[in-house]
Amino acid sequence: MKEKIESLIREALQAVDACGSIADLNKVKVKYLGKSGELTALLRGMKDVPQDQRPIIGGYVNEARDVITGAAESKEKSLKAKEAEEKMLKESIDVTYEPEDVKLGSLHPCTLVKNEIVDIFTSLGFSVAQGPEIELDFFNFQALNIPKDHPARDMQDTFYLGDEMLLRTHTSPVQVRTMLDKKPPIRIVVPGKVYRPDDDATHSPMFQQIEGLVVDKHITLCDLKGILSMFARELFDKNTKTRFRPSYFPFTEPSVEVDVTCSVCHGKGCRLCKGTGWIEVLGAGIVNPKVLENCNIDSNEYSGFAFGMGIERIAMIKYGVPDMRILFENDVRFLKSFR
Amino acid sequence: MKVSLNWLKDFVDIDIDVQSLADKLVSAGFEVEEIIDKASEMKNVVLGKIVKLTKHPDADKLQICAIDVGAKDTVQIVTGAQNVAEGDLVPVAMDNSLLPTGQIIKKGKLRGVESCGMLCSGEELKLTEAEYKGASVYGILIMNGEKYPLGTDMNVILGNDDVILDIGVTANRSDCNSVLGIAREVATVLGKPLRMPEIGFECEAGDVNDYVKVKVEDTDLCPRYMAAAVRDIKICPSAEIIQKRLKSVGLRPISNFVDITNYVLIEIGQPMHAFDADKIANSSIVARRAVNGEKIVALDNKEYTLSDTMLAICDSDKPCAIAGVMGGNNSCVDENTKDIIFESAKFARDNIRRTARTLNLHSDSSFRYERGIDLESQRLGLMRALTLVYKYGYGKIAKGVVDCCNADLTQKTLRVEASKIDDILGIIVPREKMVSILNSLQIDTVLDGDTLVCKAPLFRDDIENANDLAEEIIRLYGYDNITETLMDKGKQTVGGKTEDQKIVDSVKNICVNDGYSETLTYSFTSPKSFDILRLAEDDPARKCVTILNPLGEDVSVMRTSLAYSMMNVLASNVLKNIKAARFFEVANVYIPESLPLEKQPEEKERLVIGAYGKDENFYTVNEVVRRIAYKYGLNVVYKRSSRPYLHSGRSAELYIGKFSIGYIGEVHPSVAASFDVKDRLYIAEIDLASIEKYRKKGYKFEEIGKYPPMERDIAVTVDENVSAAELLSCVTSAGGSMLKSARIFDIYRSDAIGAGKKSVAVNMVFRLTDRTLTDEEVSAKVERVLTKLTSQLGAVLR
Repeated sequence: MKEKIESLIREALQAVDACGSIADLNKVKVKYLGKSGELTALLRGMKDVPQDQRPIIGGYVNEARDVITGAAESKEKSLKAKEAEEKMLKESIDVTYEPEDVKLGSLHPCTLVKNEIVDIFTSLGFSVAQGPEIELDFFNFQALNIPKDHPARDMQDTFYLGDEMLLRTHTSPVQVRTMLDKKPPIRIVVPGKVYRPDDDATHSPMFQQIEGLVVDKHITLCDLKGILSMFARELFDKNTKTRFRPSYFPFTEPSVEVDVTCSVCHGKGCRLCKGTGWIEVLGAGIVNPKVLENCNIDSNEYSGFAFGMGIERIAMIKYGVPDMRILFENDVRFLKSFR
Repeated sequence: MKVSLNWLKDFVDIDIDVQSLADKLVSAGFEVEEIIDKASEMKNVVLGKIVKLTKHPDADKLQICAIDVGAKDTVQIVTGAQNVAEGDLVPVAMDNSLLPTGQIIKKGKLRGVESCGMLCSGEELKLTEAEYKGASVYGILIMNGEKYPLGTDMNVILGNDDVILDIGVTANRSDCNSVLGIAREVATVLGKPLRMPEIGFECEAGDVNDYVKVKVEDTDLCPRYMAAAVRDIKICPSAEIIQKRLKSVGLRPISNFVDITNYVLIEIGQPMHAFDADKIANSSIVARRAVNGEKIVALDNKEYTLSDTMLAICDSDKPCAIAGVMGGNNSCVDENTKDIIFESAKFARDNIRRTARTLNLHSDSSFRYERGIDLESQRLGLMRALTLVYKYGYGKIAKGVVDCCNADLTQKTLRVEASKIDDILGIIVPREKMVSILNSLQIDTVLDGDTLVCKAPLFRDDIENANDLAEEIIRLYGYDNITETLMDKGKQTVGGKTEDQKIVDSVKNICVNDGYSETLTYSFTSPKSFDILRLAEDDPARKCVTILNPLGEDVSVMRTSLAYSMMNVLASNVLKNIKAARFFEVANVYIPESLPLEKQPEEKERLVIGAYGKDENFYTVNEVVRRIAYKYGLNVVYKRSSRPYLHSGRSAELYIGKFSIGYIGEVHPSVAASFDVKDRLYIAEIDLASIEKYRKKGYKFEEIGKYPPMERDIAVTVDENVSAAELLSCVTSAGGSMLKSARIFDIYRSDAIGAGKKSVAVNMVFRLTDRTLTDEEVSAKVERVLTKLTSQLGAVLR
């Protein structure tokens, strides 16, 4: 009897193994494990087994049931996995096909530069201030120590809208508005559009500036250099060096032009920097005490620095745009290259 | 300002090369924009004389010249030129020479005959007829009559022995608009002494007061007026050195007296004028405000009408000069002039600037007056002019000068704590260094304790306070000494953007993520844009701010809408054959309250959207508007638009409540056609302040609930003109609070439904947060919805 059971197990396991589908497996299960299957038949044949042998043989039969059931279950799992796999393969698609263009736009390169600059300064505790583009002569010039008919007005040709009204020529009137409005400590950056009647490869009648102002106790030229050097290292690269050259702006004294080492040749000299290794990027200086006084800030107690730069110019340097007019052409292919 | 190196050397010894000098000037605050060195462009070209001409044995058109270049042996050169003869003086490019054209000449053979250089034409030497007589002749430049010895370098003959520096002088340093002023800075940076211009003459002709009387009526416009007289003058060309120096800085020599005034202008920075004494009625010069309508013909032969804001230099009858700007024809020096009167005056800076602008008349003189002339230069200029007259024997000088001075000539004293300079700079500069730097700039300085006591010369009226001194000290002490600190003594502040600024950033990101690219367009536009947009004559959008001095008509008014700019962007891309594109821009429009402008116009920040392409339609473009509305919880209501530049059937006005916040739609085909575009263009414009104003603020937890929703679909037939918004609003109001959402999922038209009708299928989701809804409750609500749809919109259940 025992041999018979063992041979049945061998036969059943072979049958399970040979199943190619769930349906086949079901048939095998019925044949060996079903109500009228082979194992049940064996149990029915127990009546011919001597009384004392029955528990032993019964044990063999139950063992055989467990073995066959286990084999059938694991076979079922693998068959199901196989069938699912086959179904998915039938659903396969061409993963290399691209039915439509990517729907992702882009920020203008000037916005990218502006955002980068604003982020650097806001992380240093600067607030972002803004002001009107149509300005009064007072805020754009007079309060900034540029009286009417002063030769310094030649530095900034102006679009006039009336005797006292003009398109601001720089973002500096926002300095005045802020100082008249707030008490020190003041730390602001001011991005915005400005206007001057120039139109060529490096000038546009409308362009964008970003300017900074700090007013506090004990602010020095060394602080200006430290902040601008840190800024230049963040904006260009960590090896960028900064240099001051004396200059003149009516609203700062001392005034400086700020050069940074050329981002293309790193100071060796190339076409961008005209062989000098340096690129002029900023105008800056210590706030002229006359400007502080014009804004009701005591220049004996407070001092400050201010700086300003052209966003288009930085974008041209940073991204290698050869002509400023390209920035205003709004060709979608150009714009999308800044995605 | 163009400065001749040789001229500078009159006043200071320069023993370094010109590039090093330029570098030192730059680091002292004087930008050297260009170094013009003509001599370096032409090398080894000399004056020669053709001593013998013979025919080339093998070429009819060539001649062999033997040329005397002042050396022992003659030089043999083969030339193809036909305009040369034996005895002619010619420019000779020797073996290994460089021409201004960049050409290098070397010894060679022409048809087997050795040629050791080349004879040059005027063109090859880049000379114009004005620079050398005969230079424009076709062929070799014939220099017969030239007095230089043979072999002289052509650079010497042409006066190319100088280097010109083009120096940018900042507006605060008007004292440096002169050779002397620059020389002063050069002396300081080189640590050399400054030699003042040579002054010295003898008077041979009576007293100046016998020839001229001066009265200054308007002293506010004329703080100082000096005059001198020269008798029995002779008009002739100036001395060669004067002519050469004027030419070197771009001035044309005219005749001796005019040239002297120009020479002094360039050298000292003092504008001067020479009157013909006989043409000054009653020998009386009056500096007074002009009478309104007074006329004068200036030296440019144009008539100018003066006003009482302008200063005129008059005689007893008439204006003889527009003060500081230009002399008059009626008093000018000519070939018959016997006696002259020199004027050397200081006029008010602002007034000259206004006058020159009002008359649109600008001269070298007005240029300097506008920038400011110090009170010392009048005397120096006059003395220098008389010295030159005397030196070259141009006339007899009357004794004395007239000096009408109404200005304070004492030097201001400034007391500044040296520690204040350290505070400004952030470094400690040794005190003796401060003192020596200021003294080197002729700012008389001593140290009293730790206080700098400074007396600035009159030509440095820009020195007023500690900051001015700090700048003088650091620009010469060296900016390299400035270290880097990070506002260590300042107070920490909280930085960042305002809420409004963050909204703009976020709106831009929504646009970018929906495929739109940001543009940058001018804030000014053409007044014609209003016609192109088909705006009615009385459309408020026509009320715009006008620029008084625009660069052109097409950029002459400030835009009141972003529509035209965006249409331009769309059209320019369409016309480049780009098949589809999406754009956006955030920019201001300028809305004046009244015209002409009395106060600053309102500047409104707007978002404009534009798109075109075969896959675009109203709904695809509306997606971005919906995203913004969804993000900020805005309940935007769409109403039909009647804007003249939009498609009347495919456009909408956008409202929040009763407030208009913008529009969206297809561009009117005839507007698109005026941009030469046949494609359908889509555009939308939204006021960004409205988003800030009406948006939901912040976030708050809302209970979703664990009870399951129940969904119901209904389909009703309605008239074609019932809008989706009307239908949904009817559903929502009837559905009550348990209706969480309602949306249209199908719109169907067919003959069976009938013409002018449509079938609309609506999906409704009902849910409560505190319990499960019953079927009966929901059915009752759906019934209510249907009843309301029927009564309000005439809907029929399908």
